[in-house]
Amino acid sequence: MKITIKIYLLIFTIGVWSFTSCTLEGGESLNGASTSSISDDLSRGELPQAISGVLSDMRDRLNTQIDVQCILGREYYYFTNSDPRFEGDVVNGNLDDNTFYTTAPWGSRYAAIKDINLALTGLENTTADFSEEEKAAIRGVLNTLKANELLTVANNQYTNGIRIDVVDPDNLGPFVGYTEALAAINDLLTTAASDLASGGTSFPFSLTTGYEGFDTPAGFLEFNKGLNARVEAYRGNYTNVRSLLGDSFMDMTGNLNKGVYHTFSLSGADQANPLFIALNQEANVRVAHTSFTDDALANDSRVDKVVLRDSPREASDLVGTHDVWIYKSNIDAVPLIRNEELILLYAEANMVSSPADAVAAIDVIRNAAGVGPYLGLQTPAALEDEILFQRRYSLFGEGHRWIDMRRFDRLDELPKDRVADKIPDAIPVPANENK
Amino acid sequence: MYKILKSKLFLCLLFFVPIAIYSQQITGTVTDGVTNMPLVGANVIVKGTTTGTITDFDGKFSIKVNSLPATLVFSSIGFTTLEEKLTTARVVNVTLQESATALDEIIISGLASSVKRTNAANSVASISSERLSGVTPPQTLDGALAGKFTGALVTSNSGAPGGGMSVKLRGVTSINGNSQPLYIIDGVYIDNSSISSGGLNTVSGAASGGNPSSQDNATNRIADINPDDIANVEILKGASASAIYGSRGAAGVIIITTKKGKSGKTNINFSQSVGFNEVINLQGQRNWTAALAESEFGEGALYTAAEAAGTLRDYEKEIFGEKGFISNTSVSMSGGSDKTTFYGGLTRNQEDGIVKRTGYDKTSLRLNVDHKFTDNIKLSMVSNYINSSADRGFFNNDNTGTTLGVALTSTRPWDYLLPDANGNYPDHPNNSSNPLQTRDLMTNNETTKRFITGGTLDINLYKGDKSDLQFVAKAGSDHYTLTSTVIFPKELQFMRPDQGGVNGVSAITNTTNTNANYSAFLVHNYRTDDDISFTTQAGVTNEQFSQNVVRVVASDLIASETNVDQAANQAVNQFRLEQEDFGFFVQESVNYQDKLIATLGIRGDKSTNNGDINELFYYPKGSLAANLHNFDFWGDNETINRLKPRIAYGEAGTFAAFGSLFTIYGSTGIDGNVGIVVPTIRGNAAISPERQSELEFGFDAGFLNDKISLEFTYYKKQVDDLLLNANIAPSTGYVNEWVNAGTLENKGLEIGINVNAIESEDFSWDTGISWYKNKSEMTKLNVPTFNLGGFGNSLGQFQIEEGKSVTQIVGTTGPGTPVSVLGDAEPDFQVSFTNKLVYKDFTMSFLWHWKQGGDNINLSKLLSDFGGTSADFDDFDVDPAGLIRNGDYRIDNGLNAGNAKPFVEDASYLRLREIGLYYSLPKENLDKWFNGIVSNVKIGLSGNNLINIFDYNSYDPEVSNFGGNGLSTGVEVTPFPSSKRYMFHLSAQF
Repeated sequence: MKITIKIYLLIFTIGVWSFTSCTLEGGESLNGASTSSISDDLSRGELPQAISGVLSDMRDRLNTQIDVQCILGREYYYFTNSDPRFEGDVVNGNLDDNTFYTTAPWGSRYAAIKDINLALTGLENTTADFSEEEKAAIRGVLNTLKANELLTVANNQYTNGIRIDVVDPDNLGPFVGYTEALAAINDLLTTAASDLASGGTSFPFSLTTGYEGFDTPAGFLEFNKGLNARVEAYRGNYTNVRSLLGDSFMDMTGNLNKGVYHTFSLSGADQANPLFIALNQEANVRVAHTSFTDDALANDSRVDKVVLRDSPREASDLVGTHDVWIYKSNIDAVPLIRNEELILLYAEANMVSSPADAVAAIDVIRNAAGVGPYLGLQTPAALEDEILFQRRYSLFGEGHRWIDMRRFDRLDELPKDRVADKIPDAIPVPANENK
Repeated sequence: MYKILKSKLFLCLLFFVPIAIYSQQITGTVTDGVTNMPLVGANVIVKGTTTGTITDFDGKFSIKVNSLPATLVFSSIGFTTLEEKLTTARVVNVTLQESATALDEIIISGLASSVKRTNAANSVASISSERLSGVTPPQTLDGALAGKFTGALVTSNSGAPGGGMSVKLRGVTSINGNSQPLYIIDGVYIDNSSISSGGLNTVSGAASGGNPSSQDNATNRIADINPDDIANVEILKGASASAIYGSRGAAGVIIITTKKGKSGKTNINFSQSVGFNEVINLQGQRNWTAALAESEFGEGALYTAAEAAGTLRDYEKEIFGEKGFISNTSVSMSGGSDKTTFYGGLTRNQEDGIVKRTGYDKTSLRLNVDHKFTDNIKLSMVSNYINSSADRGFFNNDNTGTTLGVALTSTRPWDYLLPDANGNYPDHPNNSSNPLQTRDLMTNNETTKRFITGGTLDINLYKGDKSDLQFVAKAGSDHYTLTSTVIFPKELQFMRPDQGGVNGVSAITNTTNTNANYSAFLVHNYRTDDDISFTTQAGVTNEQFSQNVVRVVASDLIASETNVDQAANQAVNQFRLEQEDFGFFVQESVNYQDKLIATLGIRGDKSTNNGDINELFYYPKGSLAANLHNFDFWGDNETINRLKPRIAYGEAGTFAAFGSLFTIYGSTGIDGNVGIVVPTIRGNAAISPERQSELEFGFDAGFLNDKISLEFTYYKKQVDDLLLNANIAPSTGYVNEWVNAGTLENKGLEIGINVNAIESEDFSWDTGISWYKNKSEMTKLNVPTFNLGGFGNSLGQFQIEEGKSVTQIVGTTGPGTPVSVLGDAEPDFQVSFTNKLVYKDFTMSFLWHWKQGGDNINLSKLLSDFGGTSADFDDFDVDPAGLIRNGDYRIDNGLNAGNAKPFVEDASYLRLREIGLYYSLPKENLDKWFNGIVSNVKIGLSGNNLINIFDYNSYDPEVSNFGGNGLSTGVEVTPFPSSKRYMFHLSAQF
């Protein structure tokens, strides 16, 4: 009898349990903060994390970004045993609209833009006690960084166009062409500049060591102006370039490497410099295009950016004799913009209107490289050649060559090593944009 | 109470038997035709009544028959049902023979009820222990299913020890949701996750090339289950059969029953198998000569020097040429009293891989106990402890030249890679890693400790003449901890800082997984006088899932320490999953005199994984089977003795992946600051389960008194509200987004014929052939056409496109050409051919499996072309014009020309999956030798995949770089090659 009673008790218990378990509880996201936690109300504590996220995401897939630009500009080749498309599609110019070399640079830059937009929306909705000055400073920084990202995408996409307004994922803004994109980026930088100007004397967050000297609203403003000078140069507005450079961190006598950098480290969730490869590797190599050493002036110290390999590396009828050696460890910083570029922008902005100023700027660069002053003609055409030449060596491996040759309509001068190789002037719009 | 009952019964017998006028007490014995031992627990029923009993400990029974003449029906699972006519009261001794056609087995039709196969309205596949592991011991449970039933595509992802399988039932059932079936063992929901180990991708960089999928081929955890413990496997292939499993049933359900003890003598079974495995199909070397080495690499002199020194080496053979030792030891015990029975088993499987320092070692301990409190109260408990360890090597895709497979593609015979006497390995002259060094020094181990336990309580609350009421409660839990250890010591070529390395990587991944499930049902049976029976069941279920994965990847190791704190840098990542589902179900079955059998049922389900956690989703089902041969008009037709048309419809679901409701920030670090970054996947708060509806119909027929039986099934299933991790415009900042957007359809045909061809005293031959095919179509897609799986259009990839096959492979065929269809992963059809021949004491069984059609994307050859090492580099059979060397063609006219055609290859195969030859020592001899202590001594030889015929240009057409889930199977990037196995067996019973 005892057993029966126990059994009935058990059935009763199970019955009670069955009915009480009808309502479920839980259903939480367990693995991270929801994006709406930022965009609904950005708190003082979340702000530094949001900014660090932006700075971190700006480095994402930087290797693919720069590798593609440098291969198209025939600065270097990237050969890897594991992915033949760097020596295939990218060199022969058959760019697919749904392969990583197209989608990764685009997607990564827009991810950083999304980080920025979420923080900007959060700033509008914030209930934290940010002062108006602080808000202006935050806006100024975020919009400057956003402009940098948009410019990077626009440079890749050229006439294929980009989207500027991407705040609402369900209602994306239209595609705009290169001209319109540059105008919008210039506007964004101009607005950010006035925000920074009224942003007080310090930021309510910290930037990385890559922003040393630019980590106050006034300092950051000099970065903003430098970046805008680049945009205006691309637009051919040389008058603006000159005035923007005047407000920037350009320094004719200063360190050419002064500027803003992406930083890297090996600790925790940080990233290693993806552009670093040790010398004389076989499986993965970045080898300078042979024209870089062939065309170099005697004693040009900038040729140190490449190092002669123990043995040449070949791949699919392409060959490289020199390893690219700009980053010498996996934690070296990668520049966003440097004094050296600003000085050359200054030369460019003056090459028609004030050749003597242009030459003076060119000579700063030439002397630093140890190749002596410029002695050639001071005609606009000759100075254009010279400036492009100096930019090629000064900014080697930073992804400028392809853009420079394109904006002066000289892409056809870039070398093509195999019969079928082509140099496209734009990266296709990713298939998934459904443009 | 028990005692009282028993004495009452005794009294009854004593008093009523002699004075019964109309009723007769019939007694007798039932014997097992195989062992000639008493058959315990066989059912004895008076035909046309509800009177029944079961045989006792000694196979004896006693039953009351109200009037004579009467017919007694004897049945037992796994035995042919026997009818015995009685005209006068007598002692009835019968012998039940083992069932050849399995028609008499019971199959599960509800969560708490079962149905005889002859009455089933679904084509439910069933695999006995003998067919599962009796021919040759399988490496893993899921691997043992291949080719053994219709409607499935079972594919192994690689040959790495410890498994890694994909099982797809009746086509692709989900694109981004779970497409692997639910495994239930003795009522316990079993976890079948594949958990990728931290540290592998850090080194291989495989997933940085734009593909989010894990490419390092983790084991799927069903591999832990020991096939030797299994008594029977039932496969519910689609929603029409699995609707009662609701939101977890859409990909099919595999129901596994483990062995139980039988009361009687305690039997001890011992078996030992030893054998070895070897690679199926080495690719070989290019025909190297000094001239070729010179023209290809300018290294003719090095070739000549190596040739002179005798150091030319076939590195493929060096890596994959091992013969792995295999040993399986199994001891099981079963027995018990009439109240309590038990089955206990201990199994140890050890297997070395075909690559040095790889292997698998599993120990499984099982105890199943059944206890009857009274005749009306039964409890059965199952418990299983498993300890497994798999060393899986380092294979598949990478972007750093470090995996053994990719390293081999750049290794030439004259490269000298052997270590010196002190164990110092030379750097690879042509690659970033020395594959011999990597093989000898790196570790990639998965160790599981797993405990599975479950219990079923079965109570007859009421038992009347015409009706009875039963209560069933089940509980189960599956708990494991998985520790994955990945170590790349700092000595490795690619770990050294002067080579750009990070000075050693050590990673540990700890996973704790706990599934718990509870259910309770009431089952009511009611029989009318004219033999119509109604079975009503209703119940509730609750399932809880919890998973916690913590990965720590450390780099820059101190000395040769491997603890993750003994390093300069640590990166940590954690994933948690908590999910609870609640469901109820109601089912009504009507059986009209075994002539018409109809079932209607509905399941309601809710889950914390849905947008609204308390919204119920309903899944109905209905089925009808008609045993035409049981109707009077059929008469005694010997030619067609059995014909059962059947039709079934059901709906089932698949949950969205955990977390798909949310868009959550990832964490990052920069310059010592923590940061938050947007994820690649945008969540969707309104996501709901996808819904499959399946209609299945067909017929079962028996000819010549079931000498030939035929099963024919057609099905059409539609999956609505497809869960898609669809691409969205990447300018949103996201790459993918969870949506319910689309419908796909699978249609298929399954035909199985079994023939009991010869049955004589000394010789019997049973054979079966089955043919099955599936065809899928994306009938509706509410998002733009998108791609997944594979490496872009120039190398071939899958494309989800409205109106096209779900598994189509597309790509470009030249510069600027539009994307076109290049293949389809779905096989045209599959055929399996099973045979069992018994001659006296010899038994031979074999299984052929033919998969016709179905394409793979094969990139291994292209990678070795880049390394200049492809064995077929200098052949001319890839170029349609036959003019350009294969290696050049694949590079110049394939990849560089944006032509993916050369990479999409037919993956048909014909393979002898299993063969076994066994000799049973005659009983008389054994009795003479061992005095009756030893019985059932069997010795035998067997093999796995001994013959493999395929055209596919690599190790094996069964391969998947991206693991088992979803569509992306059949993409090959330098995998761990598959192997064949040769085994010797000895088993005995004590």
